[in-house]
Amino acid sequence: MSASTLKRTRRNPAPALKPEQGRGGSSIERQRRKLLVPFVGPAFLFYTVLFIVPAIAAVWISLNEWAGSGPMTFVGFKNYIQVFQDPLFVKSFGNTLLLLFVVGAAIFILAFAMTLVLRDMAAKKIARNVIFFPHLINALVFGILAGFIFNPGGMVNSLLKPLGVTEPPAWLAQDNIFPLIMATMVLTTTGYFTTIIMAGVDRIPPYFYEDCALAGATALQRLRYVILPLTWDVFGTCAVLWTISSVKIFEIIWVFGGSSGAGLPPTQTWSVAVYTYVTAFSGMSTPAYGAATASAIISLALVTVLVVLLRRAMRRDAIEF
Amino acid sequence: MTALTSSPSEQAGPPPVRRKRNRGGVSPALQADHNWVRSIGVFILWAVVVLFIAMLVWIVLQAFRDTHAILESPWGLPTSFNFDNFATAWNVSGFALATLNSILTTAVSSFVCVAVAAPAAYYLSRVENRLTDGLSLYFILGLGIPAQVILIPLFVMLDKVHLTNSLIGLNLVYIGLSLPFTVFLLTAFFRSLPLEMEEAAALDGASALRTFVQVTLPLAKGGILTAFVLLVVGSWNETLLALTLLQSSDKYTLPVALISFVQQQTYSGADWGGLFAGLCIVILPMLVIYIWLGRRLTEGLTLGMGK
Repeated sequence: MSASTLKRTRRNPAPALKPEQGRGGSSIERQRRKLLVPFVGPAFLFYTVLFIVPAIAAVWISLNEWAGSGPMTFVGFKNYIQVFQDPLFVKSFGNTLLLLFVVGAAIFILAFAMTLVLRDMAAKKIARNVIFFPHLINALVFGILAGFIFNPGGMVNSLLKPLGVTEPPAWLAQDNIFPLIMATMVLTTTGYFTTIIMAGVDRIPPYFYEDCALAGATALQRLRYVILPLTWDVFGTCAVLWTISSVKIFEIIWVFGGSSGAGLPPTQTWSVAVYTYVTAFSGMSTPAYGAATASAIISLALVTVLVVLLRRAMRRDAIEF
Repeated sequence: MTALTSSPSEQAGPPPVRRKRNRGGVSPALQADHNWVRSIGVFILWAVVVLFIAMLVWIVLQAFRDTHAILESPWGLPTSFNFDNFATAWNVSGFALATLNSILTTAVSSFVCVAVAAPAAYYLSRVENRLTDGLSLYFILGLGIPAQVILIPLFVMLDKVHLTNSLIGLNLVYIGLSLPFTVFLLTAFFRSLPLEMEEAAALDGASALRTFVQVTLPLAKGGILTAFVLLVVGSWNETLLALTLLQSSDKYTLPVALISFVQQQTYSGADWGGLFAGLCIVILPMLVIYIWLGRRLTEGLTLGMGK
């Protein structure tokens, strides 16, 4: 609802105001425009200094070889080439892609299924509120809990024992941690996207469903011709949101299953964010700020490309209802 | 229709199906289709709901047991409500200071961020020209930049002005980082407010500034509160930047303290009791906020999607 009304209120007055604006606008308009500096100035300043300047600096640093202190040497794209030749980075990048696409697909399918189930379920508010809550908890918590639940003498194994599983898999073996992380992400993030998609589905006026019933549409047809087209833009937004948040995944990997133990999580589980952090700040080797920033810029490039593609792919004529 | 059904050949057919009573007064079109796929879905959903609640209750209960008992039987219940774990976590492991730091950082950065973003969002929502379009786009740009991109330059910059390992520096970073989202959310919110009241105020001779402070701000209380709560949740849980920028344990925020606590355990043996107490300190404030202002949170997260 909010989206369509917003667009409408924004679009309609514009042509009416055009001629006025040419003459300098009404007095309140003119007064308002004078507020540009005091109103937008502080936000602009904060944002530019603390966000845009570092972002531009990041591009510059990524083109240099730099250990944080001492001289910077300009090396062009060498950092990028070097990073892509680093098997650790390739592994991290692959993991980030797995999180983005595999976990993303699972979340979306589940969230949409949950929405359809929730839509006309009894006590849907309670269920929705509960599955949303993990979104508000620091992912560290899940990582730490996993260590307790999956450790050899932990809860899962004590549950499996009576079932006759005497040799349970080594859950926290280095190779098994990443799939567990992916599963945890699905479990804890689905609720958030369910809430968003549900808000989109709830916008659909009930008379559409009544129409479907009168026309004798099956549940599948109703899904295909009513629910999906009318929530299409919500899906697009969700996809963008997930793209942006999935490349930032850091905390849960950092502590998953107590894996950080001596300091670093096992390399099989790294995401690009972890790679960036370790390369710059681990204290294990000389910090390579150039390479670290290059890896971060690559993740930014990934986000940019995907968001642009998504907007292309999801673009449909907005359906006003 | 009537002609057909009353024709003699049809009358010999099966008796008309009796319609089910419509319980609950929901029109049949809106009622659930009952089939087994759905039933499975409902079952799984409730299973997840129960799992989440049980998990939360379990964490809180374990925080009252000592490590030995927890490891002995992870399913056990506390025999008595002793706050030993909380006391240890609070006093010995430095969670007290970390909590204080977290509360300070969260409150200050969220408040300043809203205070700075609200006027900007108001301006961007009310004045329509090429400049404001460009500015809106400029702010939105930040939504797509992952934090790790600016991590290193921020560290270097703040180090130059001696603001690393300082809560002031962390506050500044949080404000800058949350601005794009806050401006975006509040712009959408201001746009959804009716213009009539402001026009009336202008006709009564109120200046634009006064209109904003006395008319629009009170109207926008809900949206501003929503933005504030979302910022509180974000800053309370932020980990990567805090981990990078804070080095001494007296400056740690809760997530960093938690990480350092986990890392100490690998040397000193697991203190699960203390750890569960620490988890409670991280989770429970969010639970309180959620129960108290949950509707605002979910609304805010879905309102920001107008774009």
